Amino acid sequence: MVKLYEHEGKEIFQKYGIDIPPGVLAFTPEEAKEKAVEIGLPVVIKAQIYSGKRGKSGGIIFAETENAVVEETRKLLGSKINGINVEKVLIEKKSEIKKEYYAAVLSNPNTRKPVVILSDAGGIDVEDSGSEHVEHQDVDIMKGYHSYDARNLSKKLGFAGKELMAISAVLNKMYDIYRHHDCKLIEINPLALTERGFSALDSKIDIDDDSIYRQKDLNIDPGEDVGDREPTCLENAAGEIDNNDHRGSAHFVQIDPTFEYSKEINKVPIGFDGVGTGVSLVMMDELVPLGFYPVNFCDTSGNPTASKLYRVTRIIFEQKGIQGYVFISCISSQQLDNTARGIIKALKEIYPKTGGVPDVPCIFVFRGAWDQDAIKMFDEHGISDCEWVQVAGRDVTEKEAAILFSDLYHKWKESTDSKEMGV
Amino acid sequence: MGANVLEFEVFSGGKVEINLSKCKQCESKACVDVCNSPNMGKVLELKDGIPALQKSLEDIKRGGCTECLGCELDCDLYGEQAIKITLPIKELDE
Repeated sequence: MVKLYEHEGKEIFQKYGIDIPPGVLAFTPEEAKEKAVEIGLPVVIKAQIYSGKRGKSGGIIFAETENAVVEETRKLLGSKINGINVEKVLIEKKSEIKKEYYAAVLSNPNTRKPVVILSDAGGIDVEDSGSEHVEHQDVDIMKGYHSYDARNLSKKLGFAGKELMAISAVLNKMYDIYRHHDCKLIEINPLALTERGFSALDSKIDIDDDSIYRQKDLNIDPGEDVGDREPTCLENAAGEIDNNDHRGSAHFVQIDPTFEYSKEINKVPIGFDGVGTGVSLVMMDELVPLGFYPVNFCDTSGNPTASKLYRVTRIIFEQKGIQGYVFISCISSQQLDNTARGIIKALKEIYPKTGGVPDVPCIFVFRGAWDQDAIKMFDEHGISDCEWVQVAGRDVTEKEAAILFSDLYHKWKESTDSKEMGV
Repeated sequence: MGANVLEFEVFSGGKVEINLSKCKQCESKACVDVCNSPNMGKVLELKDGIPALQKSLEDIKRGGCTECLGCELDCDLYGEQAIKITLPIKELDE
């Protein structure tokens, strides 16, 4: 799932004819002042972050004067709202609100259909407004969402006349956006009745990340959904791998991109790759109590090509400062000989002087189809012979693999420390 | 494609270059062997004692090469180190 910023969502609304307040992005207090004067005071200054509850957390501020715009923007930029750095703000003309509503179109996993939701209790804390204020309408995706469908839903909340036609039109446009842009969620809260008619004062749009390849006009970063922060350069690099090649998958997310968290909890930062999410989670659970913290999650499953493994292994080792690497597969039909080839080519390029022999402790556990071939390849290329490398097969459990890695790491650490001390 | 270099592009972006001048003296022809193993792409064949393509460049780029990397690795071990596969990583290599 890929989230769009409020200002990105509103650009889409505008293209589809949904009214939005006049507004522009600003990156400095001076720029904010200039834009506010252009738009006309009073304005609302909105932190652009991937997070809800901004109003309650101080991320949305009203400003009546030029000085207030400068002052409040200065406070917002560089601050943290809900734990996220604010790097840009949206300066918008303050709207005169007559009433606030809530409107959404989202994918309902229970019915496996889109559902259109409309509520007359929009604004902050809509979730607590009670079910009598919320109307739902499932959509048969084959029939589509027609204007009479939207009118039927709106009537349930008491809309009539021009307002009925206007709010129904907004719902139809939202459904069009949901379909054309492969959304999982499109939400307007509040959808406000203003002097301009119904206006989207906020936007929340989540795109299905499997569809990014055909949403090129949205210019979305290809990285995995990484929660409230922006994807890192390495995550974007990994995202490109899957975008360019559908054969198997390579899901890579940096859990601790700066290594600050592993340092804070006093764990050893290591790189990680697993074949299958389940085995990856089990392995990570075994590693953490032994003092290790995988700074990335990676799942290379679905029988990916060797070239995919090559690329993702290079990306994992690009996390400078990792003090080890763990690869483990689940028992599957994945061609592990190809997996091994990709890893070996990457190691040979990362460590050209040693012919691919790494200088940090590494364990490679191949379990599944062609696992013996994979193990043999590491041997043939002389990588298994290294004292900091352990290559294991299907007789090793996740727990045993974690212990093997721990033993390897402690020997390596002892040796490295001795060398540093000149012993 | 130079006279002594067999070059083709692969689906994921990147290319395979085979320096054919080294292949003549190669005894193993390991690249052709691995490419024609079960489940492999069967892109290479032996013609006049050197590797040649048994698929069109278009078919190879469309996914005809399974990008197993076996030709490069086996040439490295058993051949004349004549094969170079370049697989760019956008954002990392830029």
